[in-house]
Amino acid sequence: MKPLFTTLSPALTHPAMLVFMGWRNIWRNPVRSLLTVSALAGGLIIVILFSALLEGMSRQMVHYATNLTSGHIQLHRQAYIDDQDLYATLPWDYLTALEQRFPHLTFAPRLQAAGLASSKDSSTGVMLRAVDPKREGKVTVQLDKVAKGRSDLSDNRVLVGKSLAKKLALKPGSELILVTQAADGSIGNAIFIVSGILKPLEPGFDRAGILMSIDNFQQLMVLSEGFHELAVHLTQPEQLPQIQQQLIQAITDLQQQKPLDEWGGAAVVRSWQQLTPMVANMMQMSQSMLTVIGFIVVGLASMGLVNTLLMALHERRHELGILRAIGMKGRHLMLLMLIESFFLALLAALLGAGLGSLAGLWLESHGIDFSSRMPDGYDWGGLVFEPVMTAYLNLTQVAGLSLLMVTVALLSALIPSWQLIKLKPAEVLR
Amino acid sequence: MALLSLSNISKIYQQGELTVPALQEVNLTVEQGEFAALVGPSGSGKTTLLNIIGGLDTPSEGEVMLNGRDMTRLSESELSDFRLFELGFIFQAYNLVPVLSALENVELIMVLQGRPEKERRERAEHFLTLVGLADQMDRRPSGLSGGQQQRVAVARALAAGPRLVLADEPTANLDSENATALLDIMYTLSQDKELQTTFLFSTHDPRVMERARRIITLRDGRIVADEC
Repeated sequence: MKPLFTTLSPALTHPAMLVFMGWRNIWRNPVRSLLTVSALAGGLIIVILFSALLEGMSRQMVHYATNLTSGHIQLHRQAYIDDQDLYATLPWDYLTALEQRFPHLTFAPRLQAAGLASSKDSSTGVMLRAVDPKREGKVTVQLDKVAKGRSDLSDNRVLVGKSLAKKLALKPGSELILVTQAADGSIGNAIFIVSGILKPLEPGFDRAGILMSIDNFQQLMVLSEGFHELAVHLTQPEQLPQIQQQLIQAITDLQQQKPLDEWGGAAVVRSWQQLTPMVANMMQMSQSMLTVIGFIVVGLASMGLVNTLLMALHERRHELGILRAIGMKGRHLMLLMLIESFFLALLAALLGAGLGSLAGLWLESHGIDFSSRMPDGYDWGGLVFEPVMTAYLNLTQVAGLSLLMVTVALLSALIPSWQLIKLKPAEVLR
Repeated sequence: MALLSLSNISKIYQQGELTVPALQEVNLTVEQGEFAALVGPSGSGKTTLLNIIGGLDTPSEGEVMLNGRDMTRLSESELSDFRLFELGFIFQAYNLVPVLSALENVELIMVLQGRPEKERRERAEHFLTLVGLADQMDRRPSGLSGGQQQRVAVARALAAGPRLVLADEPTANLDSENATALLDIMYTLSQDKELQTTFLFSTHDPRVMERARRIITLRDGRIVADEC
């Protein structure tokens, strides 16, 4: 049988010979090689799963930050941002103009105010949020997050937060009296029927939130001039910076055409990252965390490789000395050792990436269910997350992590390989 | 001009505070085509002398001229190349790369020399046939006997076309039959007019001494006898 390295082109002869020898060398002690590959692959699997969970959590965060209540972008008046000034509204004309100018975007106007809610048993301060159910349904899913009852804001029906419902002993069908100070200075009050109990969306809204229709809000608050908040949904979230700029320009144009009153301040356009900076920071931090943890785990696993190489070097010292004696240079031996390390790392990368991806896909479809411990989910960064943590397998990230592992393994292999440069044949052959 | 010329070679090992002289003022010349044995008891300096001649070790003092070049003045990289092209080595044991077949082991050194594929293939097959292993070329060292492995080592050393082959106790691990066969092969090849290969080997094996055409005796790091 013709030797493999003689079939390759002369220019490749040296490396090809070393590759050939390196591949055969790793199978000289298959159990040890497989254990080394397993250790490296195990490290990679852990990092891939960690990365998938982190990515899943990040995506869940973005989803919750944008789809639950806020949308991708929000518009307010400055006075509303500063003091929740009831009178700091944007005119309804603005909504019409924006909808005409940006037909590919969906808008949901909102009004908000504070009030006092009373049930048969008790009273408490509440936060009223008025939405247009048709528009809101295209921007967020908050109206769909009903734990009990049904999502109905018609007539005098309202939805209430779960904790608030518990506090006021409300259930679907219960009567609720709302008392507020209306925009005209009068005392607004009305009786509403609880149509449903909302799942926790935001910790604050869960404790004190009441969702109602804009019509009901306007009657209760005697406030029909405009809206406090405009949530915007993007079909292509990656275009957020450009759309935000376009909206700023559009609002500037509108303010020139139809100037706003002075006390409410200018209209401000903010992205979800500006609205929930904790989530945005967490996403940035997660990438750094992944890199650091990736280096630590893969670095530790690479110590196994270093150990294997040191043992192999010790066992093959005489043989390596003979190779040096017959004319092989130290750098060739070093390259041989690095090639062996590369093969071990490559096998580990293939195994780790394969098994890690399978495990990641399983977590992507099944998730980790914490509902037995946290039935209502957990709140973090001003948002309430569902108790099922799902992963998201990013194949580019898997490839990047595999490459990282091979690189770290090769860098680790430099330690034992370097010894071969200094190998003195006379000493090892003595 | 002699192929090999050693002038006042001394080698001193420092073991802690203890100074151990391994070779003391050794002078030696070896001509092309000689079949010479370095003999002497263990610790007499045979291996040290071979290592110095082979450029594997450096003398504490003296000059080693091989084929007109002073080996003591060569850099590590130049020494590697010198060993690759001018010298052949046969060691006592573990001579071969275990993961390569007999043919690949012989070819390996020629790959390092950068010889063309066709030439190294032909030479490897030729020398393996000369040492009587034409039908064992595809076997790995683990599938060969000790004697056959040493014959592969001889084929490898000669296939590279060296001027001088250094053999450190080549028969030490072989039985009488295999040792005799190996020596016969080495002697026959040393007499080949075309190859003109010089053999210098260390031994304290009487079978080797019988076949050597020159016996250089070392004792306590000094040459005490040089007989033809």
